[in-house]
Amino acid sequence: MVAIRSLTAILTYVIGLCGMIPLFPWLTTFPRVILLVGLLSGLWQDRKGSWQLKPWMQNVVIVPVFFFYALQFSHANPAQPVISVLAIMLAVRLSGEKSVRHSLQIYTLSMFCLASSSLFDLSPVFLIYLGLLLFMVAFALVLLTFQNQDHAMMVSTSDLKKILLSALLMPVFAVPLILFFFPIMPRTQLPLWYFLSPPSLRTTGYSDTVEPGSQSSITETRSLAFRAEMPRQAQKQLYWRGTVFNRTDGNKWTRISQIPTEQPEFTGQTVRQVIYPEPSAGRTLIALDRPAALVMQRVIRSPDGVFELSRLLGGRLSYSADSQSNGLIAQRNAINRRFYTQLPDLLPARIKALVLEIARAGRDDSARVEFLENYFRNGGYRYSTVDLATGDRALEQFLFEKKQGHCEFFASSFALLLRAADVPCRLVGGYLGGEYNDLGGYYLITDAKAHVWVEAYIDGSGWVRIDPSSFAANAGEVWAASSSQNLLLRISLVLDSINYVWNRSVISYDFEQQVNIVRHVGSRLQGINPSKILRASLPYFAGIVLLALLLFAIRRASYFHNREQRVLSRFLRIIEREFSISTGDGGVGLFEIALLADNIHVSNFVKIYAGAVYHDRGLTDDEYLRLKQILRSLKGVESKIS
Amino acid sequence: MKLFLKTHAFTNVFDVLSRDYLQGKEEVLRLSVIALLVGGHILVEDLPGLGKTTVALALAGVTGLSFGRVQCTSDLLPSDITGLSIFNREEGHFSFQPGPIFNNIVLLDEINRSMPRTQSAMLEAMEERRVTIEGVTYPLPDPFMVFATQNPSDQSGTFLLPESQLDRFLICTGIGYPEEQLERQIIAGGGIRELVSNLMPLVTSSEIMAAKNDVQAVYLSDKVLSYIHNIVLSTRRHDLILTGLSTRAAINLAQASKAAAFLAGRDYVAPDDVKNIAVAVCAHRLTMRSDMNTTDRGGVIRTIIASIALPLA
Repeated sequence: MVAIRSLTAILTYVIGLCGMIPLFPWLTTFPRVILLVGLLSGLWQDRKGSWQLKPWMQNVVIVPVFFFYALQFSHANPAQPVISVLAIMLAVRLSGEKSVRHSLQIYTLSMFCLASSSLFDLSPVFLIYLGLLLFMVAFALVLLTFQNQDHAMMVSTSDLKKILLSALLMPVFAVPLILFFFPIMPRTQLPLWYFLSPPSLRTTGYSDTVEPGSQSSITETRSLAFRAEMPRQAQKQLYWRGTVFNRTDGNKWTRISQIPTEQPEFTGQTVRQVIYPEPSAGRTLIALDRPAALVMQRVIRSPDGVFELSRLLGGRLSYSADSQSNGLIAQRNAINRRFYTQLPDLLPARIKALVLEIARAGRDDSARVEFLENYFRNGGYRYSTVDLATGDRALEQFLFEKKQGHCEFFASSFALLLRAADVPCRLVGGYLGGEYNDLGGYYLITDAKAHVWVEAYIDGSGWVRIDPSSFAANAGEVWAASSSQNLLLRISLVLDSINYVWNRSVISYDFEQQVNIVRHVGSRLQGINPSKILRASLPYFAGIVLLALLLFAIRRASYFHNREQRVLSRFLRIIEREFSISTGDGGVGLFEIALLADNIHVSNFVKIYAGAVYHDRGLTDDEYLRLKQILRSLKGVESKIS
Repeated sequence: MKLFLKTHAFTNVFDVLSRDYLQGKEEVLRLSVIALLVGGHILVEDLPGLGKTTVALALAGVTGLSFGRVQCTSDLLPSDITGLSIFNREEGHFSFQPGPIFNNIVLLDEINRSMPRTQSAMLEAMEERRVTIEGVTYPLPDPFMVFATQNPSDQSGTFLLPESQLDRFLICTGIGYPEEQLERQIIAGGGIRELVSNLMPLVTSSEIMAAKNDVQAVYLSDKVLSYIHNIVLSTRRHDLILTGLSTRAAINLAQASKAAAFLAGRDYVAPDDVKNIAVAVCAHRLTMRSDMNTTDRGGVIRTIIASIALPLA
């Protein structure tokens, strides 16, 4: 036997927690503390069984809080006061005695709290909390109706199972409706509140300038940059093109947007990919190097293969791109060599000497590139993110003294030397590599993968991708380390694929896709012969009807065979409650009940009912109506008594 | 409506008797009327001086039926009850002098005092409803009811009725002492024998016959039938009982229930009717296991009934 009261109390706390936890990270300190205090004091008082806080005290407390936050409310700050009031009201209700009315208020407040958490965050965890909350509220509501009838009611475990089952049915029946509404309801792709005032967004792993020597060491962040849905590629080809830097002052590389036109020829095989970037403040769109085409609205395409949004879009987006990933892009016409050989006025003497050496290697571009590659490969350079060269002469230090640095050092020094040797080149910023998630069929690229490499123009072939970092002596171990898949990584990949599915099919499911579905359905419908459909669907339809009939029959057979039994059980309930006559298991005859009850309605009921039943016939409609009327008047007796 | 009027006549009989004459004996009176309507017999087991005879007299008086009385003794002969042929000297042949049994209501007082030979002659007459004397069969009047009494306490010089004979009584019941208040009134008022003997009939013989037909027509539903059958089957399976209820007992229970329903003004049998009358109809027919002979049979029947759910729907 279980006391309904303790059950509802537990459910109420769990429901309260389901509302609190998702909202908690977004609250300010004061509501957080109040929430915790409210929850704990409620639990403590529930344990003791006595309630120091009376409802009127609580109501008095809420009023000033409400006014305080109402004054804080403004267009610039609409969300925080609302959620604070919600949280504090929830806390106050949790701390008080849980009457039926207060329990219902807690459920509502929890729902509101959970809903308001979606103003800040649209993660799949929301769905879990919502499912939990819906199920538990349904269960608790059923229990509360019992508690409302009898405060100290006890139920057996088997009855509890039945209640649980019927409560479970409610959300389960709602699932088909949810599935139906999901594709057609309007939606938002971004948390509403963030949309209104985006907080400082994640900065991308690569910046809009390349300036080796500005820091003595860099720390890598493992936050997600983007996902790319595509078939698995050779790891060596995974260069993700972001932006291009075409100007240098010797230390710093920047981008200027007036770029001479180019006419690239994409002759090789292209790879189709769909990119799902994490929301960021950058406008550059990433794609596998080098994107031939990128399908997205309001995109500006630069001649050097950089794609940028014309204005910043908040929230999640997705776009598809076709890329040729072999690292060589032929040009139909000659490029503007002057633009890509721009140099600062002064170069350090040691670099000048090195450039002379390069120039001696040969007249054409490819010979000079090859010479420089060999110079780097044999120079004993090491890849490192600590103990870096700094200051104005950082590149010089890197080349001739420290001989260790990260990709920016390698790439910018390499490009500087090429330009000094009159080979056109530019720096490309983006990402390198990525973890392939076999479950979801996509690459996962974190900010730690940010990378810079060089594109050199070789007359006669075109733009060639050169990664100077790969010439480092320890390049093999640096690159190999990331490819080993340990268990933790695999688990995180699985978890990520859940997140990915959520983002893909729920969050970034947009209006266009809705229209597509409708159009698709429409075009399918046009090509169909109606009579054919009818014939094809007839067996299904008949099956459904049969199933429904069967279920109905089983239900009738197992619960209430007919209306006679229904009426009787109602009658017996009223008799037990109102006249305190125990009618359990047919131990008392109807006429005996009438005698004991000594009530005109009761004996009338018995006369009509027994007259039908003990004649082996069902109730006529007229009798049925009269019986129901009698039951109503018996209920009237009840309310008068109570 | 017709039924109501007929029933009304009998309830009127009842009311008059129990209100004006036989206070505190409603139950035994009701059972007697049931026995009368079904055509069965009743055995009243109780101490002397509690009004057994008065009930029989009153019933006879109020129904206007003929009444015969036999005071049983150990030297009572069968012919003392059935009657005998006496030679009529003037007419020159034997003429039949009917005994007290040729009455509608026959009171057999202290039936256990008579010899088994006489007992079996009487019980045979009760069952056959006719008497054969010297090769001539004389039918007994209709309605015919035996109102037998026996004194359970004084067992010396008595012959207990065997089980097979007990089975012939539709109903066996006691009377019990009246309530305290009621008894004081009775003491104050003195005996009512005189009053009872001057009762005016309230129903006619033809009305009784018609009512008997109506009782037969009372509807017995399958549900109630199963209920009766369940009770009978349970007595056959019970631990304390050697032999349970016979098929005749089951028939009698159904008939008595019909009569009870009729008296309650209904044309169908409710399980309540069965439940209320089961002890009176069934208890005396049970043969208990030898070591359980002293067990209260009524109590056994009551526990059996309590264990079977009434068919409410």
